[in-house]
Amino acid sequence: MEGKRLNTQPLALIRKIKGFTRSIVEDLARGNAPLIYIDRFRNYCTGTSGNCSCSSGLPTGKEAISLKRECHVRRLDILLRVLLIVQQLLQENRHGSKRDIYYMHPTVFKEQSVVDRAINDICILLQCSRHNLNVVSVGNGLVMGWLRYVESGRKIDCISNPNTAYPIPVHVEEVNDILSVAQYVLVVEKESVFQRLANDQFCKRNHCIVITGRGYPDVPTRRFLRLLIDKLHLPVYCLVDCDPYGFDILTTYKFGSLQMAYDATFLQVSEIQWLGVFVQDSDNYSIPQQCLLPLTVEDKRKVEAMLHRCYLQREVPKW
Amino acid sequence: MEMEISSVKMLYKHLIFCAVQRCRMADYLCRLTVKLTPVSRFGLPLVRISVSDTGVGSKLEDYQYLKYRNDPILANQWDGMLYLATTSVSDSEIHNLNLNLKESNSVGTLTKLPSTAKNGAKFSGTEVSVSISKSLDDLLAEVTCFLQKMILLKVPKVVMELLVGGDDSLGSQIGSRILVIEGSSVYSPVESIKCLKLGLKDYVRKHQTRFSVGENLKVGTGVANSSGSSQGNSQVVEAVVIISEMSELVPSSCIREQDMKTEVLYFEDFVSCSIAQSSLDALTNINWKSYGLALRSIANHDGSVMLEWENLLPDFHIHIAIHCYHRQVKQWVAENSLPDRNLVRKAVKCALDDLKENNQGVLLSRRALKMCDYAPDLAKTLAQLILSSNDLNFQEECCSLLGVQSQEVNMDNVGNCIREKIISVIGLNDRNSQKNKEAPTFLFEDDCFQKEHFMEEEYHEGEEAYNFLDL
Repeated sequence: MEGKRLNTQPLALIRKIKGFTRSIVEDLARGNAPLIYIDRFRNYCTGTSGNCSCSSGLPTGKEAISLKRECHVRRLDILLRVLLIVQQLLQENRHGSKRDIYYMHPTVFKEQSVVDRAINDICILLQCSRHNLNVVSVGNGLVMGWLRYVESGRKIDCISNPNTAYPIPVHVEEVNDILSVAQYVLVVEKESVFQRLANDQFCKRNHCIVITGRGYPDVPTRRFLRLLIDKLHLPVYCLVDCDPYGFDILTTYKFGSLQMAYDATFLQVSEIQWLGVFVQDSDNYSIPQQCLLPLTVEDKRKVEAMLHRCYLQREVPKW
Repeated sequence: MEMEISSVKMLYKHLIFCAVQRCRMADYLCRLTVKLTPVSRFGLPLVRISVSDTGVGSKLEDYQYLKYRNDPILANQWDGMLYLATTSVSDSEIHNLNLNLKESNSVGTLTKLPSTAKNGAKFSGTEVSVSISKSLDDLLAEVTCFLQKMILLKVPKVVMELLVGGDDSLGSQIGSRILVIEGSSVYSPVESIKCLKLGLKDYVRKHQTRFSVGENLKVGTGVANSSGSSQGNSQVVEAVVIISEMSELVPSSCIREQDMKTEVLYFEDFVSCSIAQSSLDALTNINWKSYGLALRSIANHDGSVMLEWENLLPDFHIHIAIHCYHRQVKQWVAENSLPDRNLVRKAVKCALDDLKENNQGVLLSRRALKMCDYAPDLAKTLAQLILSSNDLNFQEECCSLLGVQSQEVNMDNVGNCIREKIISVIGLNDRNSQKNKEAPTFLFEDDCFQKEHFMEEEYHEGEEAYNFLDL
């Protein structure tokens, strides 16, 4: 079982949803405009003081949503629609994906990101994680290596075929009985690298667990990795491309993402170590010049922005 | 002080104005009669307009300030002659005078005519007559239209009537009565604004030219007083705004231009008149946007003011009446004390606020209207959150908070109830936000847009599978 917040059982959440609804009804009945406070979270800032609280996992402020601004009213409309769907999922013990939710009112939502933000707001309001709302995302991660676990009663035995990819379970809370003889966990950015390792029978000679999120890791991948480290206490190494996006993926594993900042403490794997690829590797391994691609203007802009993130100054100045 | 008469209309309006003030100055019930009598002179059709009243006697100064404009149209219609008969209570005779304003002297030539004896009778009154070369029908139509506007006001203690005299050269004393306007019994500020309100309501009802299935008049009134100008006479400005929303059977393609226009009915000292420039300025300077209205233009045609709006809903009409008067009645001799622009603005604004305060969902600012668009959806979702809950106690609790009876609980009723409350809250916030314009903004208000951008930026990364170089 992974790290838990308090009071995230379905009944508790249903009770919180009712409480939330009731408080809005009470306000309206009294002729008052409902005022909803949503905590704001971030896991990094670009402040230069070095004194920020970004790594604490605590909220950095509150937003007040009211019936005084059109953008707030729209946000409230979306939030309530999603909340209604969540209430139904919890009451009926069903699960739905974020995409499913989007397709319930696509003309109103207009974009998936709108639904995602509403789900985040609800998680913050109800102080839970997304999977507690019975909202799931389609899993994208792969795992292989010296690992065995039980998922919702089914035995998944990667050890029998250590160079075969298995999908990372979506319902990470259903994962139990993790068993491993691995010496470390290797996280790779790309599916192509993962496949290359599999083709090279890497896990035959190396007793390890290899994971890929196939790009930016989704929540189940991050949760699964977190769970493995909590249970197995193994060193974790991360191999990403030597470019801003690779670096960003590394920081996502290590520090969490901004949009899931409210859940950062449950998702980040701060023990992860940067294995490479480093700039000097091109010399160390004599990589021919023509294999290197120059940074584009966009790439450079991204790097500039990323360098300001407070956790880089504070946590890993040696990077 | 001069007043240049440039048209026949202006002439008889002024005569009626003076008569009204004389009646107001008297402390007994007065009669004011406007009589149109057709006469024939040298074979040419003429109409004698006489304005007579039983108010206090008039002074010569009222008329000596009139100037005759050198205008060919006016010259064709009026010879510049004014016949005046007047007497005060204390006079022993009725003075008869002829005034020729066409003379090029700075003051018109005055000819005294033989007085008429009163034989000890105690009364006062005035009769002023002019002869106009215009068709009776045209004049009658004009004068009727003008006096019909006067119906909006109830001049205290004055009964007005419009007569048409008989068609003989002697000028019959008995004419057919076209119009009677009752006055109010006594002046009081409360009565005065009430009369204007009722008057405008009647006027609006009478002038609804299209077939309407249902009619809904929403009224707001406002009064502004000055504590006393330098001349020592306090001004009062009364304003009434009416919104009529008619459920029409006529399809919206038949929207006429007039629908998007408002004629402002304007009165000074209890007489319908042309709007003063200061009042026009006041109307221009009102922040119509905060009432959800967009003013396209203000046009002043021949003293009549038309406000033209952008994008009014097809069944939505606005009517405005403004009355500026001096609390202390004075004849028209004094300096031109234009109504205070700020007073007019204040009165109209009060009327608009009054309308908004007492009628939910009316005159909401554009911003509030946009938010109200969400009200049905918000209400429906909240109703569903309540009624789809497994917890019946919770459902009961919420419905009882909303005031929906248990036997009436269904999605529609609960939804409608919530929607009303949301609109009411939005309206309340809208009114309050106008009142508290100087109040500090919310701590997080400005962050709204920044946050949108912030979140949008970050959402490109994260969840979605990202294949950079898919080798």
